[in-house]
Amino acid sequence: MKFLEQAPRFLFFTGKGGVGKTSIACATAIELAEAGRRVLLVSTDPASNVGQVFGVGIGDKITAIDAVPNLFALEIDPQAAAQAYRDRIVGPVRGKLPEAVVRGIEEQLSGACTTEIAAFDEFTALLTNTAITSGYDHIIFDTAPTGHTIRLLQLPVAWSGFLEAGKGDASCLGPLAGLEKQRAQYSAAVDALADGQRTRLILVARPQNSALREAARTHEELAAIGLNQQFLVVNGLLPKEEAALDALAAALYAREQAALSATPDALRSLPCDYVPLKPFNLVGLDALRQLLVATPSHIDAAVGEPVELHAPSLSELVDGIAADGHGLVMLMGKGGVGKTTLAAAVAVELAHRGLPVHLTTSDPAAHLAETLHGSLDNLTVSRIDPHAETERYRQEVLRTKGAKLDAQGRALLEEDLRSPCTEEIAVFQAFSRIIREAGEKFVVMDTAPTGHTLLLLDATGAYHREVARMLDAKGAHYMTPMMQLQDARRTKVLLVTLAETTPVLEAANLQADLRRAGIEPWAWVINNSVAAARPHSPLLQQRAKNELREVEKVATTHARRYAVVPLLSEEPVGVSRLLELAGRETEPA
Amino acid sequence: MTTIQVFDPALCCSTGVCGVETDQALVTFSADVDWAKQSGARIERFNLAQEPMIFAENATVKAFLERSGQEALPLILVDGEISLAGRYPNREELARWAGVKEVEEAKSGACCSGSSCC
Repeated sequence: MKFLEQAPRFLFFTGKGGVGKTSIACATAIELAEAGRRVLLVSTDPASNVGQVFGVGIGDKITAIDAVPNLFALEIDPQAAAQAYRDRIVGPVRGKLPEAVVRGIEEQLSGACTTEIAAFDEFTALLTNTAITSGYDHIIFDTAPTGHTIRLLQLPVAWSGFLEAGKGDASCLGPLAGLEKQRAQYSAAVDALADGQRTRLILVARPQNSALREAARTHEELAAIGLNQQFLVVNGLLPKEEAALDALAAALYAREQAALSATPDALRSLPCDYVPLKPFNLVGLDALRQLLVATPSHIDAAVGEPVELHAPSLSELVDGIAADGHGLVMLMGKGGVGKTTLAAAVAVELAHRGLPVHLTTSDPAAHLAETLHGSLDNLTVSRIDPHAETERYRQEVLRTKGAKLDAQGRALLEEDLRSPCTEEIAVFQAFSRIIREAGEKFVVMDTAPTGHTLLLLDATGAYHREVARMLDAKGAHYMTPMMQLQDARRTKVLLVTLAETTPVLEAANLQADLRRAGIEPWAWVINNSVAAARPHSPLLQQRAKNELREVEKVATTHARRYAVVPLLSEEPVGVSRLLELAGRETEPA
Repeated sequence: MTTIQVFDPALCCSTGVCGVETDQALVTFSADVDWAKQSGARIERFNLAQEPMIFAENATVKAFLERSGQEALPLILVDGEISLAGRYPNREELARWAGVKEVEEAKSGACCSGSSCC
């Protein structure tokens, strides 16, 4: 593997959710540790599963992985980091200020802003703080999903800019009190990131068009902010031998090879490694040790009988959605599980029945237009573009609240409107605007990856509390977006997952988070099922067998109702294939 | 020289643009503070959510919070004495406290950057 050769001190693994970043980061950590280096593996993913991969609890303290000498791990949990930050601020005044005042401070420090900044603080400390990191030869970051990572990486640059502008107290940097103290840390973090001798960025992608395009975008965005030392890893490539063994495998192989030959130009100049698809789940040390070696994987000889899977189709699920005549349908789940495709499939299936549908997405990495590839009666499509929404929000605030300011006052306001929190607010407002339509028609939403979605819901909750406080006093009737999400008659949440251990666990965690917010998921959708596609190739059959256990878990423990969507031999693009995905027969052309 | 200390309620940031609804009073006041500083005034702002220790350590502010609660903020001290509470001062008031002259030119352009119209 090229990306392992002469590995520098900092290694970042990034890419869409579900591409296998964590597995590859863990396998890399094991490899380097077993070569005698001292390695610290860090996850900044809000839904980290590094601990699960090694079968040990890790959390926010550096923990030795006993099974691998020299290997240590750390999971930066943004919520825990935010709690620690709150404690640091609020702790000293407890008992000194009235209890109600202390509660008010805590409430103010419970927003997305605090969470983001607290996690970021820990992250930059690892890039610069020698007291913590000097004992390690390599620090490996298994980072959060793409959009969030980029934002974290861009922040030091943006904030250094703020600081250089010299307005120490004016800028809207949220809870970053005593900013000057952090200044050296942020600027050192930027230096470390931009130094090719110290930092290598490994873009992980699946051999799929959308994943490769996403990697190309990330490549360009990160190169633009100075991260030039980049490698590409294409993970989960179907071995050529399998293609000879059945039609599905042959089609998948052809599909992957076509995606590879269409690799965006931006990526072609990067050193590239290919990791073959394995028949086993990448959990546990033995599996991880085999991930980066080229030898053919051992396949269970007992495979032979086609796997039988009887499960409801997406179309059957849509029957239940259609029955209500209108409402909000939200698809949630980790990035890379296929929310965009399934949102399009649900929307097309509803529209095909003659029902009015508005399909919309807030996923920064969405390719809705490409997925739909055409149009359909009764169906309108829109996209919440975070950049466009943020700009619109800025202009709106400047136009209204900034109207009476002089030039200098406007400049100050504009500076504050560059704060990292503005985007959350702007996206939230666009989101609220669209879901109001769900009273008359179907609104199908494809949300951004898990962590971001939860931040959004947080904003919704904060807004709800604010409105409730004002309107309860007046005895008025009102309906906040949060109330709409909690009302099962108005909103159906579909949790999307794959039939693999980690994605199922992550979906279950998300379900628990949603329940805490008073939102009960209506159904689960298991996407890209190999078992439902009834393969004959031994490798795919082995994977199909592994899937059955996960489908069973979803059906019996996690979901109130569920559906299984098969892996298609063709990419699910266009109306007729989306209908096929939902489980109905393709209509004659 | 006169020191004006502004004790803000728990805010995300000084203009409040991080909140769900941007507060016009905060936006206007932030601009006025900036203006007054440019004119030579000495003004300090403390945000309850970010620097609560400063509130707790100032006997006047602490007593005010105990008596009136955080809803009564902002509190403005001029040379340590309570000069205003419950609302933000306007540009005129800032100018008077700080002993700086309101320049006519600052009022032109927009309809009312001062306190005399709208």
